[in-house]
Amino acid sequence: MIASLMRTRLLAFAAASLIALTSCRDPKITTYRVPKEKTPTLPPASSSPAATSTPGASMANTAVTTANGPGLTWNAPSHWTAKPASAMRKGSYAITGEAGATADLSITAFPGDVGGDLANVNRWRGQLQLPPLAAAELSGATVHLDANGLHLTTVDFTGGPIATPQRVLGAIIPVGNATWFFKLSGPSNLVGREQAAFATFLQTIHAPGATP
Amino acid sequence: MSELIRQFRDFFVSLKLTVVLIAFSILLIFAATLDQVNLGIWAVQQKYFHSLFVMWSFGDIPVPIFPGGYLIGGFLLINLIAAQVYRFKLNAKKSGIWLTHVGLILLLIGELLTGIWQEEFALRLDEGETKNFSESYRANELAITETTDPKFDEVVAIPEKFVARGEPIQQAKLPFRVVPKIYYPNAALAARDPNSPGVAPTPATTGIGLQATATPLAYSYKQNERNAPSAYIELVGTEGPIGTWLISADPRFPPQSFEYAGRTWKIAFRFERSYKPYSLTLLKFSHDRYAGTEIPKNFSSRIRLNSPDGRDDREVLIYMNNPLRYAGLTFYQAGFENDDKTTILQVVRNPSWQLPYIACALMTLGLILQFCIHLVAFIARRRTSSSAAA
Repeated sequence: MIASLMRTRLLAFAAASLIALTSCRDPKITTYRVPKEKTPTLPPASSSPAATSTPGASMANTAVTTANGPGLTWNAPSHWTAKPASAMRKGSYAITGEAGATADLSITAFPGDVGGDLANVNRWRGQLQLPPLAAAELSGATVHLDANGLHLTTVDFTGGPIATPQRVLGAIIPVGNATWFFKLSGPSNLVGREQAAFATFLQTIHAPGATP
Repeated sequence: MSELIRQFRDFFVSLKLTVVLIAFSILLIFAATLDQVNLGIWAVQQKYFHSLFVMWSFGDIPVPIFPGGYLIGGFLLINLIAAQVYRFKLNAKKSGIWLTHVGLILLLIGELLTGIWQEEFALRLDEGETKNFSESYRANELAITETTDPKFDEVVAIPEKFVARGEPIQQAKLPFRVVPKIYYPNAALAARDPNSPGVAPTPATTGIGLQATATPLAYSYKQNERNAPSAYIELVGTEGPIGTWLISADPRFPPQSFEYAGRTWKIAFRFERSYKPYSLTLLKFSHDRYAGTEIPKNFSSRIRLNSPDGRDDREVLIYMNNPLRYAGLTFYQAGFENDDKTTILQVVRNPSWQLPYIACALMTLGLILQFCIHLVAFIARRRTSSSAAA
């Protein structure tokens, strides 16, 4: 009889502790003291955007094949500093502005259409933490140019941190079986200043074999 | 024992209850699996398994429509314990079954404790940066920080849930009341020109809210997306309102400073933080590739681990499948960003991580034992019957 009572108590205890355990998940207001924080650094424009997903942003997609074969040629303005091309880049320039601000011009090329204009435009928007565009919105966000027999799809986006806005001027050029990307990115003011130079620069791009 | 207690006991000991609970579990798992298409894995776990009841909203009223994982699991646990105590007698013949049940009980307890205790945070470190806190993946908090002291910050961290409720919040360390005016679980921010003639009015009276507006967006349950909640928060002092700020957990949105009662304050919506009594500094993040290709070979973070009491000041290397285990936490290499200059470590606390292993070992042992007992008995029986026949 006593053993049976003990068992019943044990069972009741098990039930009570279970209920108690499940009820201790409610969040509470907390207060604490922490050592002084340094001025918060705003996340760079390339950090993961809020509530958006961009194709090609995950760790699994980092292996990239660049396009081979004959390339495009161009004439960069004299105040752009050429940087050495890398495995990924066909061309690279640095543009320096006031107070040490720098903008970066990258020229890359990949086989195929690299997911199409929409995916690439949204990838750039993601880098500026802008929401992706729907397919129907793409034509309104791009400007088409023809230069030296090439068809250019150009974009101009501003986004990034509100305190330090970033801007991207980009051009997507299909060449044969590859797609070339010209992207000028950096602080909004500096990129804005270089907008005219970038437009002129795009007009100097030539396909292989075309007469300059 | 009174009749009532006996009935109560019999209910929990009954095998029928076990069968009903298992049937409920099957239905729950089936429904949750289907709903994963709509909600994603995280929300499904919260809605179906880490809850006492699965709730369904009829208009604005949540109604429980099915027992949740905690309720079914909890009843199953009590049912198993009760059966163990009352029904199964520990003897050599049944020792395997007994051991298997102990393993099953341990497995259920392990799952319950994991659900309650497990915490997952992210630690983002730029090269050269030192941090003594990690940040939640999903939970946000309204942080009101007094920054007057040149050495310390006094933080009042208010979980997002309180902001969502919209009721005034009074906290002893704050000389003002916090009144959430508008709250959006997910919102997009847009620039607003206060000088433009046709500009829409804003509830914000000070801070960035004068130059930016928040527009509600649909709440996202996708695993690779993060919601950026925004809110308009009014602070009310003893003399009346101090101001209304727009705050957002969007990573672009910086903390905003203000002065009140001769003290300096900062208000921000941010990822929920978990502070540690030690700090980590990222010395170097390496993204190794196979020679001549862009194919990733290894990701690793060289970290300096420093505790202020001087017990630890050492370098550690965290790479794929080689996490740092320290002070009850496990730091995994989870990702990187910012052109290979920022590492993202996943920080997991799960004090009961060994329980499922122990439980499975016990169940395996129990089943093998029971099988062997039956086998020996069977062989013995055959021998007896064959010798009797002879």
